[in-house]
Amino acid sequence: MSDVPVGIDPRGPRFGAAITSVLLLVVVLLALTVLPLTPIAARILDPAFLLLLVVALLFLWAVLSPRTAPWGALYRRLVQPRLAPPAEREDPRPPRFAQGVGLLVSVIGLVLQLAGVPWGLPIAAAAAFVAAFLNAVFGLCLGCQLYLLLQRLGLVGRHAAA
Amino acid sequence: MPLWIAVLVLAALVVATAGGGWALRRRESRPRQGASASSEGWDPGVHGERATLVQFSTELCARCPQVRRMLHALADETDGVALAEVDLTHRRELAARLHILQTPTVFVLDASGAVRSRFAGVPRRNAVAAELDRVIGEPTHV
Repeated sequence: MSDVPVGIDPRGPRFGAAITSVLLLVVVLLALTVLPLTPIAARILDPAFLLLLVVALLFLWAVLSPRTAPWGALYRRLVQPRLAPPAEREDPRPPRFAQGVGLLVSVIGLVLQLAGVPWGLPIAAAAAFVAAFLNAVFGLCLGCQLYLLLQRLGLVGRHAAA
Repeated sequence: MPLWIAVLVLAALVVATAGGGWALRRRESRPRQGASASSEGWDPGVHGERATLVQFSTELCARCPQVRRMLHALADETDGVALAEVDLTHRRELAARLHILQTPTVFVLDASGAVRSRFAGVPRRNAVAAELDRVIGEPTHV
């Protein structure tokens, strides 16, 4: 039916998730230790905000062009040649969808920070960290699991987006 | 917030996430036993002589291929056990009817085709094998 894309090494997304979870942990640390100031310029220059913005842009990159996204490229260049070939390949679409969920959560954190909502940014970053960490360590993909739920609600799938 | 408190909060976050992940992984190998009324009249299309494994997947299911491979091997090695695969990508009414919230989900059906237990997530191979033994060993008397 639909054209199934070439499979990818499933360890690649987990490698990326490990780096992402470390970055998000640093975001939470910065957000908790550096007090956000009231003027909007200071909220934007807050290091936690800037780093979460970088993470969000990386998520966006992975959604728009998974093949060129930095962590995937790093994995293929440096890590994969040192490992045995993967036992199986996987569909690249679920991890890509999950990156979109990560992007959404990060953007929510950024918007809350801009709106001056206290704790908004660290809580959103912590939520994204939980998802990335579970993916890296346990291979659980919360974003992928959401897919069927959203589909049952009619929010994604054939009817909404192709 | 002082740095040491922030570090403690982070440590708590990591430990809680790790604990939660570990519990989730464990739960995936625990079958939910018993038939559900909603599955009556539903036919996976494939029938094993003694039992049937049904795997539900979607297009966007990262962990389905590994489960499919494991169930294939298990069905091949066990006499009278067949494997059916149902893609829920285009069948959300079926997912709703069978109360499937995530993929992969695995059903174990007995010889009569009745749903006897279900695994939500990626079960360990020996957990599915034990469930198969149970279903084959004690057929239902309806």
